[in-house]
Amino acid sequence: MIERLSHGPATVHGLTEPFALSQQMISKHIACLVRARIVIKAKRGRESVCTLRPEAIKTVSDWAFNYRRFWEESLDKLDVVLKEMKKEGARK
Amino acid sequence: MVITRIFDAPRELVWKAWTDPKYVTQWWGPKGFTAPVCKMDFRVGGKFLWCMKAPDGEVVGWNGGEYFEIVEHEKIVYSMYFADAEGNKVDPAQYGIELEDTDDGRNVVTFEDFGHGQTKLTLIGNESMENAKDSGQLEGWNEILEKVAAVVVGLAKSE
Repeated sequence: MIERLSHGPATVHGLTEPFALSQQMISKHIACLVRARIVIKAKRGRESVCTLRPEAIKTVSDWAFNYRRFWEESLDKLDVVLKEMKKEGARK
Repeated sequence: MVITRIFDAPRELVWKAWTDPKYVTQWWGPKGFTAPVCKMDFRVGGKFLWCMKAPDGEVVGWNGGEYFEIVEHEKIVYSMYFADAEGNKVDPAQYGIELEDTDDGRNVVTFEDFGHGQTKLTLIGNESMENAKDSGQLEGWNEILEKVAAVVVGLAKSE
C-alpha cells in the first residue's frame, strides 16, 4: 500500500482495487498508517484521498531494510558502547 | 537467521551491555535511532519493553518480549513481538503490517569466549519472523522501516 502511495495520492477506492481485500480491511489498514503518521487522509468531496506524508517519501531506492540489517546496525552501536564501557572500567 | 559478531571485549562486559537497560538503551535500533524507554525485568518469566525513536523524534514503535531461559554470561532465550506503550502484545496489523501472529517465536543469543579478551556473539533469529519474511509478509514492515530509515539517511547527510 505504501509502495502504491509512493507513486502518488490515491482514493480509498483506488487503493481497494489492486488488493484482494475488502473495503473494510483496506480502511483498517489505512487507519493504521494514518495513526502511524505515515499517511494523511483528507476528504475531497465525497471521497477520501490518501497521501504519503512528505517525511515518509524521502526515499533512497536501493536501501532494502531487513531484519538482519536492523541487528547488524544495532550490533555496530553495541560495539561503540562496549568501547566506552572498557574505558570506564580502566579509569577505576 | 543467524548473525554472529566478534566483540573486542570480555564476555562479562558484553553480557552486561546486553542485559543492563542503562546500556541497551544506547545501542538498540538501527543507526540514528534511539531507544529512550527500555524496561527490562531480566529473569526467567520476566518481560522487557522498549521503544524505538527515529532521529526526528517520532516514536516508531514498541517491542516487547519475555525471557524463557537465562544462563549467565552464556545464553538468553527470549521472544519478541510488536507491542504498545503498556507492553501489551499487539496485532502487527496495527503497525500496518500484514503478518501472522508471530506466536512467541524463540530467539536465542549466545555469548562465547573467543580468546584474547574477545567474545563471539551469536543471534539466532525468530523463526516465525524468518518464515514471514520468506513468504513476503514482512514486506509491509520492511517498507515502513525503509521509509523511516531513508529519513535517517537524509538526516545523517544533512548533519
